[in-house]
Amino acid sequence: MPGGPRADRRDFYEILDVPRTATQDEIQRAYRQLARQNHPDVNKDPGAEDRFKEISEAYDVLSDPQTRRRYDAFGADFRQVPEDVDPEAFQRSRAGAGAGQARGAGGAGAGPFGTGLGDDLGGINIEDLLGGIFGGRGFGPIPGADQEAELELTVEEAFQGGHRSVTLEGPDGRRTLDVRIPAGVTNGQRIRLAGQGGRGSEGAPNGDLYFVARIAPHPRYRVEGRDLYVDLPLAPWEAALGTSVAVETPRGEMKVKVPSGTSTGKRLRLRHHGLPHPRGNAGHLYAEVKIVVPAKLTDEERRLFEQLAAVSTFDPRRR
Amino acid sequence: MGYALVLVRSASLNLEAFARATGTHPDLVRRLLALGVLDANRDAAGELWFATGQLAVMGRVQRLRAGFGINYAAVGLVTDLLDRIAVLEAALQEARRPGR
Repeated sequence: MPGGPRADRRDFYEILDVPRTATQDEIQRAYRQLARQNHPDVNKDPGAEDRFKEISEAYDVLSDPQTRRRYDAFGADFRQVPEDVDPEAFQRSRAGAGAGQARGAGGAGAGPFGTGLGDDLGGINIEDLLGGIFGGRGFGPIPGADQEAELELTVEEAFQGGHRSVTLEGPDGRRTLDVRIPAGVTNGQRIRLAGQGGRGSEGAPNGDLYFVARIAPHPRYRVEGRDLYVDLPLAPWEAALGTSVAVETPRGEMKVKVPSGTSTGKRLRLRHHGLPHPRGNAGHLYAEVKIVVPAKLTDEERRLFEQLAAVSTFDPRRR
Repeated sequence: MGYALVLVRSASLNLEAFARATGTHPDLVRRLLALGVLDANRDAAGELWFATGQLAVMGRVQRLRAGFGINYAAVGLVTDLLDRIAVLEAALQEARRPGR
C-alpha cells in the first residue's frame, strides 16, 4: 500500500498527554502548552517541528467535539469511515467481523467518500490534511523556520576540517546529511545547510539548518577562540637552566626552546600553530609551563637538592 | 523533493516585490512596518526598500501568527523576546563552556 499506515502513529490523547475523559478546556490547555514549547520559532531543535505537527494534528481532531466523537468511536482510521455510520453499529460489526473487514468497508465503500480518502490513505497523510504545519488554513505559503543542532567536534576535526555524516529525525523520517566542516571552525561557529531546516508550506522555501560547532574537551588541548593551550611539564632544573623540549601540536611534534629561568605559568608561544583561520592568520599555540618535581627523590637527588638549598639565596616569596 | 527558491542576493526589494515574495498583501506589510515588526528604508522618491533578511522576519511573523493565532501587535513583542532569549542563551552557552 503506497504511503501505508505509519506503524508508529501515536494516539492523539497520548500526544496531548490528556486522559480520554478530558474536557474540551483541558484539551485546549494541553495543546496550547505543548504548542508553545514546540513551535519551530521557539524551539530550534530539528525534532520540534515534527512534534509540533503531531500536536497540531491531534488538536485538530480532538478540539472539534464531532470529529473527536468519531475518533473515539472509529479510532485512527476514522476519516475512512463514512459520515453516516452509526458508531454503535460499527463497533458491533467490528466485533463480529473483525477489524480488517470493517476497515475494508470504509476503503471500498460506495459514494463520494470511497474515492477520496480510501485506498492510499490507509495512514492519513497529514501533509494533505494540514498542508504542512501552517498552510492550508488560509494563511497562504509560509516559509519554514530555521533550525539549530549542536555538532560536537574534536580538536583535530576543527584543525583539519573534513566531513561528518549526521542523522536527524525530520518530518520525512530520518535523513542523513553530509556536513562539511571547514578547517579552523571555532566554538559556537555556525555551519549553514541551506534549505535543510523547517519545511515551508505551499511551495514556500524551507528554512536553513544550522549546526553550531562545539569543540569537545580534549585530554591535552584547551581551546579558546583559535588559540590552543597545552601543558608543558618541566623538571626544576630544566626550567632553571633552559632546555629544548618536544611539544605535541595537532600538526605533529614541535621543538620548543625553554629559556633559562622559566617559572610555572609562563606561556611559550608557538606562533600560528593554533587552529587555522580560513581568511586570516591562524591562532597560536601556547605551551604553559608547569614545574613538576619527582614524588620520590633518590639519595643522590636529595643530597644535591639539600646542597642547592644551602647555597641558594633565592626566596620565591620575597616581595 | 524540490523547494522554491527565493531571491537572496539582490540587495533589497521594494514593497510590491516584498509582498509578492512573502505571499502577503502590501497593506499587511505596511501595517507590520508601522508596528515596528518589519524594517525598511525609504528612498528619495518615497519608495520603501526591504533588505532580504526581512523575508525571514516575515516568515517568522507568519508562522507565529498561524501557530498561535496571536495578533500582529503581539507578534512584535514575541519576536523581540525570542531575539533577546537567543542572545541570552548564546551568552549562557559561552559561559558554560568547559576549559576556562
